[in-house]
Amino acid sequence: MKVINLVMTKKSSISLEFDNILPELLFDKSLRQINETIIYRGNKEEPLSHYFDVSIEGECDDAKECAIVIDGDLSRVKRIGFAMTCGKIIANSDVDFHVGACMSGGHIIVNGDAESYAGREMTGGLLEIKGSVKEFCGSSYAGEWRGMSGGQIIVHKNAGKQLAEYMIGGNIHIKGDCDILAGVHMSGGKIQIDGNVNQWFGGQMKKGTIIINGNVEKMLPGFVLEESIYHPLINGKQFIGKYGLYSGDKTVKGKGRIWIKK
Amino acid sequence: MIEKPITDYDEEVRNCSCSYCGNNCDDITYLLKDKKIVGVRHACRIGASKIINDQDQRLLNPLVRNDEGILEETTWDVALDKTARLLYESDRPVLYGWGETSVEAIKKGIKIAEKTGAVMDNQSTICHGSSIQAFQNVGHPVMTLGEVKNRADVVVYVGTNPMDDHPRHLSRYTTFPEGFFRKNGRKDRTVITLDPKYTNTAKVSDEWIQFNMNEDYLLFDALRMLLKGESLDEEEIAGVPTSQLENLIQIMKNAEYGALFFGLGVSQTLGKQKNVDMLIQLVEDLNRYSKWSMLPMRGFFNVSGFNIALTSETGYPYGVDFSRGYPRFMVGETTTIDLLNRREPDFFMAISADPGVQFPGYTIKHLINIPTIQIDTHWGPYTELADIVLPSTRVGVETEGTAYRMDSIPLFMKKVIDKPENCHSDEWILTQLYERIEILKQEEDN
Repeated sequence: MKVINLVMTKKSSISLEFDNILPELLFDKSLRQINETIIYRGNKEEPLSHYFDVSIEGECDDAKECAIVIDGDLSRVKRIGFAMTCGKIIANSDVDFHVGACMSGGHIIVNGDAESYAGREMTGGLLEIKGSVKEFCGSSYAGEWRGMSGGQIIVHKNAGKQLAEYMIGGNIHIKGDCDILAGVHMSGGKIQIDGNVNQWFGGQMKKGTIIINGNVEKMLPGFVLEESIYHPLINGKQFIGKYGLYSGDKTVKGKGRIWIKK
Repeated sequence: MIEKPITDYDEEVRNCSCSYCGNNCDDITYLLKDKKIVGVRHACRIGASKIINDQDQRLLNPLVRNDEGILEETTWDVALDKTARLLYESDRPVLYGWGETSVEAIKKGIKIAEKTGAVMDNQSTICHGSSIQAFQNVGHPVMTLGEVKNRADVVVYVGTNPMDDHPRHLSRYTTFPEGFFRKNGRKDRTVITLDPKYTNTAKVSDEWIQFNMNEDYLLFDALRMLLKGESLDEEEIAGVPTSQLENLIQIMKNAEYGALFFGLGVSQTLGKQKNVDMLIQLVEDLNRYSKWSMLPMRGFFNVSGFNIALTSETGYPYGVDFSRGYPRFMVGETTTIDLLNRREPDFFMAISADPGVQFPGYTIKHLINIPTIQIDTHWGPYTELADIVLPSTRVGVETEGTAYRMDSIPLFMKKVIDKPENCHSDEWILTQLYERIEILKQEEDN
């Protein structure tokens, strides 16, 4: 197991972009090479060492055995784990936009909140956020019709607007509350929300499953109560309590399923 | 008091385009005396006021703020050299505005943004940006204002008040004019306004449907349900009785040609892009029964042109970030207000726009702390912030150029009078800046 420790030494008001700081790109690099790895700041390219102290523990032959641990105030560090395929990243702070976006494998842990677009267009792997996420978590790129298609996102607190917009696959578990338009345009995958959900969830939903364990605002008129079931088995997992099963959104002749705890 | 008609003029210039709003009325007549505009015919009160009153507070010479914080006159070379160097050396420059200049100038701006790794953004970011996102996501059934004039028998305004914002919209294009298939003008048309407020447009409409603020998405969703023959269980949706919605849908279904216009009341309320998304799909669904099209009510006379030019060059309509050498666009990340809220920009240039008027106070506080450049024709709140002021000329009055009307029709805007001696067109200023930036780059490469 190889652990690459990055400790922020200087904060930048302009966001740093971390596309190149991935286990698969750094696992076989020396300390000097890692220090010289390019990060992006506005329209400039700078070496990682300008902003971070780097240290390495252990060795590995495979990127899967490599972990990157990032410390400091990362609220201006974007694209952590962007397009990551394997290994592990632990960010011990709030993080900026696009954490875990387009990732296809590996494991990211954020010990704080995440800005918008966390897990955008993710196809695999596990993104775990111990705090809250802002808008468009698990959604698509602007203008794109396909959002998250695989993998898993776990958010321990709340999620912002338009969670999982255009989601076509994968799983999202929000342990707190969720703002408006959760699962809008969803056509696959599963969202579980343990807290309260603001209005218009499932808007124009075609397929997929949303499970809501908290309170909900009024449902859109395109959803119809099919039945109420005690302790339903949903996608192979049993949920305790009485749940109403709604289907829709009829506005788009959708066959989505929303389970709401009564 | 009735103003007397202007008779003391020695020249008429006809068929000019107005440079105020997205209507781009191209039947304007300017009355000149001694090569100065003394009157405007056919323009609305706002358009005429803009042409006449803009002459009062003209910026006539390049200005640079001195060490005491006072703007003082300088030469073009000094002002341009200083601007080019500040832009070239910045890490997160933003080039904002462009809604009131020509497409030719915008294209020069895109070249500069690409060369310097800047963010290129315009007023869409605070108005119809969310509408354009929805267009890119789900498309939209377009029309020209000429089609509306000649064909439309049902006109629907949603969340917009053109009687006050685009004063000639109803009289020139949609409601009152006689059209090829609407010989009786207003009598041949049904006009409906959907708005939480009883606006001046609602007053001249046949029906005003009041709905709850921030429930646009729900309202349009319910209308789509009704259109598809589904019943609504509730007696009232978004504050509107279901029977009234059913009646509206019948009118829309029975239209021979329907035209829907929407404004910031839809695109900037809760749900934003998704409201427009739902409205677009309502109009698409209506095309199963009749011919329906829609347009956003664009504000500045060439705000649409910016979106078209930038989309043509980069694929994205506004808020395009060239910092990595290729275009990127993300709402909330690369859009001006969000960048300023995050205190990221270290250089800000406003071209034919006044952020001092348009932006929230918190963002303006950041502008105080960074180099700010103004390229504009007249003094405004942003001039008080600007470190360098580059006086430009008015498109459609002192400079010719191309602008796109709100229905994406390009219009040539001709020159009417000569520019002030020491002012230059936006296109000239931007060309000069580009050339200076090229030289700086060559110096650095060597």
